Amino acid sequence: MTRRARLWLLLAGGAGLAVLFAAACLKLPAFGGDRHPYGDRAVRASLARHTANTVSSVNFDQRAFDTLGEMTILFAAVLGCVVLLRQTRDEHRAAPEPAEVALPVRRYALIVLPVALVSGLYVVAHGQLSPGGGFQGGVVAATALHLLYLGADYRALERVRPVGRYEVGDALAASAYLVTGLAGLIGSAAFLANTILPYGTFNTLSSGGTVPLLNAAIGMEVACAVVVLLARFLDQAVEIEGEGGS
Amino acid sequence: MADAVIVVALLLVAASATVAVVTRDPVRQALVLAVLGVVLAVLFTVLQAPDVGLSQLAVGSALTPLLLMLTVRKVRRRGQEKGRGR
Amino acid sequence: MNGWTLAATVGLAGGLGTALWGVATGPLRRRVVAQNLSTALACPGLLLLSQAYGRPSYVDLGLVLALLGPVGTLVFARLLADELAEDPPRAWGPTWAVAGLGAATVIALCVATGPSRAMVKLLVIGALLIGGNVIASRALSGGFRGVRRG
Repeated sequence: MTRRARLWLLLAGGAGLAVLFAAACLKLPAFGGDRHPYGDRAVRASLARHTANTVSSVNFDQRAFDTLGEMTILFAAVLGCVVLLRQTRDEHRAAPEPAEVALPVRRYALIVLPVALVSGLYVVAHGQLSPGGGFQGGVVAATALHLLYLGADYRALERVRPVGRYEVGDALAASAYLVTGLAGLIGSAAFLANTILPYGTFNTLSSGGTVPLLNAAIGMEVACAVVVLLARFLDQAVEIEGEGGS
Repeated sequence: MADAVIVVALLLVAASATVAVVTRDPVRQALVLAVLGVVLAVLFTVLQAPDVGLSQLAVGSALTPLLLMLTVRKVRRRGQEKGRGR
Repeated sequence: MNGWTLAATVGLAGGLGTALWGVATGPLRRRVVAQNLSTALACPGLLLLSQAYGRPSYVDLGLVLALLGPVGTLVFARLLADELAEDPPRAWGPTWAVAGLGAATVIALCVATGPSRAMVKLLVIGALLIGGNVIASRALSGGFRGVRRG
């Protein structure tokens, strides 16, 4: 196909997409309207199960199976990264050099690291009450660990980060989600049904049945996955060198 | 009038996303992307989707820049090694 | 539209607009400073929005931004240390001005909240935000001199 024909094909496809988008937009409900058929049902269901944050109820109760799919996508993506960014035969590892970081920056990193870790856990634990949940809190906690690389050097990070254990943790958390889902089969006949635990008092940490458990599993899975992912990137950027490299 | 903040957030997102596309240097693009992440989080908040906003902040403010900058560093080092080998 | 919404709208439009302009143009030393100030300006905006909507739980967004925003700037400061060492940014004026703006916002919100656990949380966010951004600014202007590779 010539360049000109390709351009015409692109323009035709783009025009078709634009027409379809315009037609779809014209049929949408008005912006900020007060009719939300799906929203009303979701809120009713989440209140019936004593889950204050409706989004969490949708993610980890009403549509928990979708979240299982999303978790699997993250798991597979990290697995792919681990395979792609492995050390190949013509590469070798050079020890990272210690870094001199200005004292205020180093102090800041050491003070903020525990604060960020606790905040990550707080976001995970309050997933069923306020905005947040396993994914957000897991990313915050995993990012917090890397303050050791930013505020000190890579060797300091490697000391507190045995990658193998995080890989195991990733797999364990993913299976914890599955096991919680299978436990739903005991109380009722549905996978991931929120029936095995009492719903608790509305707007307390232990409310929502299995929602906090699934949140915790996702939090651990995401935190471990991010740590493993960043470990591969850091290895490539800092340690692994090609044949005869600097 | 209460929609003014939504309009402001939408305009900021459109402007920063355009800047992110037209910036060619990956380092500068990463800087623009970090700002775009913050602006997107503001948009999600004013549209009453704080859960999504929180995800955006968690991923966009430190994790994405770190992944991008580590990749840039690796590619640059590889380029230097190749240049010396020739 | 209440006063909090108005303050958030004006602050976000002016602050993030300026930060976007700063990060889109000019030399690298200006862009990194603009990136740092964008988080320092967005966090008070998010706190104001939480007050404007009457939803205390939205404060968590401010908390996460105050924690991770400066970390993002540290990423750039660390991995661009060589480039920034040749042409270090000097932006203490804007940094302290934005820090003052953040402090004023947090104090105004604390007065509106009254003494409670929510106020303690706001004060923690304010301290993390201002401390983080001042340290990030310090890191940009030569905080990683000794970093060769690693």
